[in-house]
Amino acid sequence: MKAAEKFTDAGLVAAIGDPALLNKAILFLYQQYSASTCSFIMSYGASEQDAEDVFQETVLSFIEIVKKGKYRGDASIKTFLVSIARNIWLNEVKKKERAGFREMQYEKGRDPHEADISDHISDLEKKRQLRELLYKLGEPCRKLLMLYYYDSLSMREILEHLPYENEQVVRNKKYKCLQQLTEYIKENPAVAYQINESIK
Amino acid sequence: MPLLSTQLIDHLDNSLQGKGSAETDELIQADPETALEWQHLRLAVDTIQDVGLFEQVESVKAVWKAQQADDAKPAGASIRTLYRNVMRVAACLLVIAGGAGVFKYSTTSSTGLYNKYYLSYTLNANRGAAAPNAIDAAYDQKNWTAVLSLFAVSPEKNNKSYFLAGMADLELKKYDDAVGKFEQVLAANLQSGDNYFQDEAEFYLAMTCLARNDVNEAIPLIGKIKANKNHLFHETVGKMSSLDLRIAQYRNSK
Repeated sequence: MKAAEKFTDAGLVAAIGDPALLNKAILFLYQQYSASTCSFIMSYGASEQDAEDVFQETVLSFIEIVKKGKYRGDASIKTFLVSIARNIWLNEVKKKERAGFREMQYEKGRDPHEADISDHISDLEKKRQLRELLYKLGEPCRKLLMLYYYDSLSMREILEHLPYENEQVVRNKKYKCLQQLTEYIKENPAVAYQINESIK
Repeated sequence: MPLLSTQLIDHLDNSLQGKGSAETDELIQADPETALEWQHLRLAVDTIQDVGLFEQVESVKAVWKAQQADDAKPAGASIRTLYRNVMRVAACLLVIAGGAGVFKYSTTSSTGLYNKYYLSYTLNANRGAAAPNAIDAAYDQKNWTAVLSLFAVSPEKNNKSYFLAGMADLELKKYDDAVGKFEQVLAANLQSGDNYFQDEAEFYLAMTCLARNDVNEAIPLIGKIKANKNHLFHETVGKMSSLDLRIAQYRNSK
């Protein structure tokens, strides 16, 4: 396999925070930790596909935890990833209402630092629902919002990617698209309820 | 007085750039309705960023998988044991499997996928307007240049005429022009809330992106069509292998 950039744990955390290095960091996570984490999850009854999906969510969660500054480094990245993966799989098992004794096995084996990430993991189902809402918006809106809010392009730069007449048209379209997404979110009962509760 | 939605969005954009105003924050907190709207907007932006990261991870994962396929080579050690003949057979099988992997990698391309899955579009009488017009007639006769000429002078352009002109561009390999016209259909529907020629424009936009080696643009569209069982082209797109798409994406990124 083509040699990937090597990172220490600290270097990897730094790379995740640098947009220019994020792809290399993700590739390193896959090359370094995918096989062992997937084997671990499969030893608890996950299929190969389940394990692959769990690892993808694990990588996403880890990146978000690091970006929020919640990875304190008191466990190695390998251990931390396994903990995240185990939490995700535990949630999946719960969701699918699989045999109760398996959950007990997991609960017994939980590490102390797992409490730090459990809140994050519990949001995964909500995130999946929210992702669907963005796709529901349609391609032009999705693309515009992604260019602005994920790729951080300016209105002028967006004009080079999308067929709009001028920056003001892009700006107006962005308002409408974001408002539409917000409406979809409001119409999603589970998400809307959670927000209503959180601001009470 | 509650803030307008556009004011909130401006404040959100400014806050993301570190230019938020404390005064506006106070106004938001002072009004429960505005605070709720603000939370929804924040969640919307979090969602966009989550999807962005999700797609980035998926893309790198595809590269990693392609690299694995690329490196699938038989073990080189020569083992001389009682099982030598068996090992020779195994080695041959590995070579064949590795060769198949390499062949798959070397023969899978964006334009190859386009050629494999492209369907010529035939106008359906039920789908079109009540009275056939000159553009329809030229399209039925596959006179692509006439379709484009008629479209250019057409005083009343609609989704159908944009779509047919886009198809004519595609047939003439004027991919950039085709993309512009298909995107116009999608943009018009977005504005009006209609779905007129939406499925057709989505599918052929994805095809055009493949034809011009723009797999990154094609993949989300194809994913959307795959996810929608009611989509006109769901069955066609369902035959596309995700691995093929990811290989094409990886090859394009090299």
